[in-house]
Amino acid sequence: MTHLRLFMGATRKAGLAGAAVLALATAAAAQGTVTIGRKSDADRYDPQRSSALAAAEVLYMMGDTLVTLSYDLKTVEPALADSWELSEDGLTYTFHLKSGVTYCDGKPFTAKDVVGSMERWLTPDGPYVSAWKAGSVDSITAPDDLTVVYKLKTPNSGLLFQMAQFNFIIIDPDQAKELGDDFGVTAFNGTGPFCFDSWTPNQSVVLKKHDGYDWGTPALGNTGPAQVDEVVWKIIPEDATLVASLQAGEIDATYSLPAWAFAQFDADPSVQMIQPQAAFRTHYVGMKVTRPFMEDIRVREAVSHAIDQGAIADAIFFGTVEPTNSYYSEDALDYDPATDTSPYVFDPDKTRALLQEAGFTMGDDGFWQKDGATLTLTYYGFNTSREQAEAIQGDLRKAGIDLNVELYDSTAIWAKLREQTYDLYQMDYPYLNAGDALNLYFSSASIPSPNRMMWDDPKTDELLAAGNSAVNDKARAEAFMALGKHLHDSILWKPLLLQKPTVAIGPRLQAFQPAGISGAAFGTGLQLALK
Amino acid sequence: MGAVHRPGQGGMIRRLLNRIAVSVIVLAGVLLIGFLMLQVIPADPAVAIAGAQGTEAEIEAIRRHLGLDQPVMVQFFLYIQRVLSGDMGHSVINNASVSTELIRAAGPTLELMLAAMIWAVPTGLGLGIYAALRRGGVIDRVVMAVSVMGVSIPVFWVGLLMIQFAARTRAFPVQGRGGAIWTLSGLDHIILPATALGLILVGPIARMTRTTLSDAMHADHVRTARAKGASEARVIVHHALRTALLPIITLLGLQIGTLMGGAVVTETIFSWPGVGRLAVGSIIAGDYPMAQGAIIFLASAFVLVNILVDLVNELVDPRIGARA
Repeated sequence: MTHLRLFMGATRKAGLAGAAVLALATAAAAQGTVTIGRKSDADRYDPQRSSALAAAEVLYMMGDTLVTLSYDLKTVEPALADSWELSEDGLTYTFHLKSGVTYCDGKPFTAKDVVGSMERWLTPDGPYVSAWKAGSVDSITAPDDLTVVYKLKTPNSGLLFQMAQFNFIIIDPDQAKELGDDFGVTAFNGTGPFCFDSWTPNQSVVLKKHDGYDWGTPALGNTGPAQVDEVVWKIIPEDATLVASLQAGEIDATYSLPAWAFAQFDADPSVQMIQPQAAFRTHYVGMKVTRPFMEDIRVREAVSHAIDQGAIADAIFFGTVEPTNSYYSEDALDYDPATDTSPYVFDPDKTRALLQEAGFTMGDDGFWQKDGATLTLTYYGFNTSREQAEAIQGDLRKAGIDLNVELYDSTAIWAKLREQTYDLYQMDYPYLNAGDALNLYFSSASIPSPNRMMWDDPKTDELLAAGNSAVNDKARAEAFMALGKHLHDSILWKPLLLQKPTVAIGPRLQAFQPAGISGAAFGTGLQLALK
Repeated sequence: MGAVHRPGQGGMIRRLLNRIAVSVIVLAGVLLIGFLMLQVIPADPAVAIAGAQGTEAEIEAIRRHLGLDQPVMVQFFLYIQRVLSGDMGHSVINNASVSTELIRAAGPTLELMLAAMIWAVPTGLGLGIYAALRRGGVIDRVVMAVSVMGVSIPVFWVGLLMIQFAARTRAFPVQGRGGAIWTLSGLDHIILPATALGLILVGPIARMTRTTLSDAMHADHVRTARAKGASEARVIVHHALRTALLPIITLLGLQIGTLMGGAVVTETIFSWPGVGRLAVGSIIAGDYPMAQGAIIFLASAFVLVNILVDLVNELVDPRIGARA
């Protein structure tokens, strides 16, 4: 816990430093290269074809979205669009674009590019990802060079928030057409503060400052141009090497640090640790409600009470994450503080009481039994979360529940999860707000993936629909708050931890206010400045 | 060599052609087994690309786009067809050309392996010779103990220790390749990985040299040479070592395989942009064509080195050819 306090202090300091940077931004004469280390590369730098965080963090530097979010992730702020209006029926958004925006190659940016970008993304049968974020689009048109009209078939209360995500980065549609499969691989022409220079897969991405960039906003970091000449993203797959690279000054910053390195850097005055004001990623254990034992809500609650998330936070994450009792952060937009999270508190005595109530008896082998069957559950996890799996297995066995742990590589687990032979699975997920968190995983339309709980519930679907089609903030908040409570009452997940990215910055770099959207803490890179 | 050995030369070429023919069959096997093994891995690139939030429809569309919706045998047939026409295909992840990436990665791997051998082979030989000459002495025991240690300690452990050391002292860069080996920055960057990788070789070479040289020192022809009054140095270098060298060359050839395996680990630890890292990265990402290309590359290199070792063996000792 001491660490957490330390981080918060550092974050506040960083906030101040960030503000100072903002004030000085335009005055500072930029120079030099900032090298950022990270563990894995993206599949490609195409906002419409990649779902990887590794793609997001580079794309935010190379391209712009129409809107962005405030640092607390609760307010939609202008970016490429100066302003916008929403029609009464909640179906038509009219965006007014900034003038004078140009691409890296000098081509002026117009409303046609927005239309072209969206048309490519929404191509039926194309190899594109996450297009559901765009809502049920009826048409997207450009009545003039600086106006975009975005028409929906049904209202979508989360649309503007989603539009801040990296998939909505406006590309150069002509270049995308010309390059085909090589788009975002050999080149990327964007309107962001940095320009694509080169990409050597699994080694590095080199970005050069976009000289004419002056359309930034405070929510993006500064108005531009960028304060450093070059940003190099380097891939260093080995944890220990990454840590050593920061110590040795070979990289200036990273946020892929393993938790064990945090304590080491806490004591090192040359390295600063900073966190975004708001960034939401929750680790949880999902429960598949269609399995024999898991059908019974009392068994689900018993499992939930048996797992000690506080111990996991302390022992495995060295206190760098917060243990949590809710599916998504209490700081997220539309979280109802009246949600009953008592079923998620660590309390092995309750586990015993609940299992007895559900008709289980303690067997000679120390495991609960019912009708001759031992309470044995199958758990799927990522091999990168081995320690969490071991802790959960230990907790459950102590409580008399046997757990078969199966761990998979991050590429293999998705296919395994589709085989549906698990009772529990462990995962972590990023989200923007309650609506974003709830939409993805609980709708019956998302069975079997990503609704891996197989939660098929009319009340959930109704409340989701109500929240999604709300045309004002109040109606949206009401529906999502009610849904959040309902899902917590149904016990579908065991929440474990809340994690924020922690950026470690070396002695050359100035502290800044990390961004929270999509987990890409370096944001547009407009705040990056050398001392 | 001289005239005495000439009768064996025709046979040698025939044996070489024979070896090449067998190697082609081996490589075809590697191609098939590699392909099938990648199919068995539950990793699905389409699912990985779509991510945790990917919908069924998206995954299907990506799979179609990558040609992964075809039956496995059809994919294999198309693949063989392309490979035979010299096209190793494109990455299903980032569309990079497999051959281009392999060529780009081959240089650094070769560089790393050579740099490892340049220091490790003479060191191993030297230690082995010294131990053989002082057999049973304290230094012999120390050398043997150290070489057993060298064989038993995993490369990644040594590599990580070196990285810790370098990060504290800032003596050497801890990751990446600084450029060509003859530049200062290139040399600076290669020292740690080459040292870590070379350690694999020192032990086996030292042990083998010690054993074969000790045996050779007691061989008849060495005794004869000594009896004829040759100096001790001449006896060791010209008579004993020449006989002892043969098994060492064979061992070195076999160790190339270990060295390539070690390079995979070393390259990952030191972020060295070689074939080993390419192979690991592409297998993790489910990038079949790239992984397949890297596997074929590593297998071909291994087969090639083995042919070379045989060739060198024959040149050094023509009796081998005569026996075969």
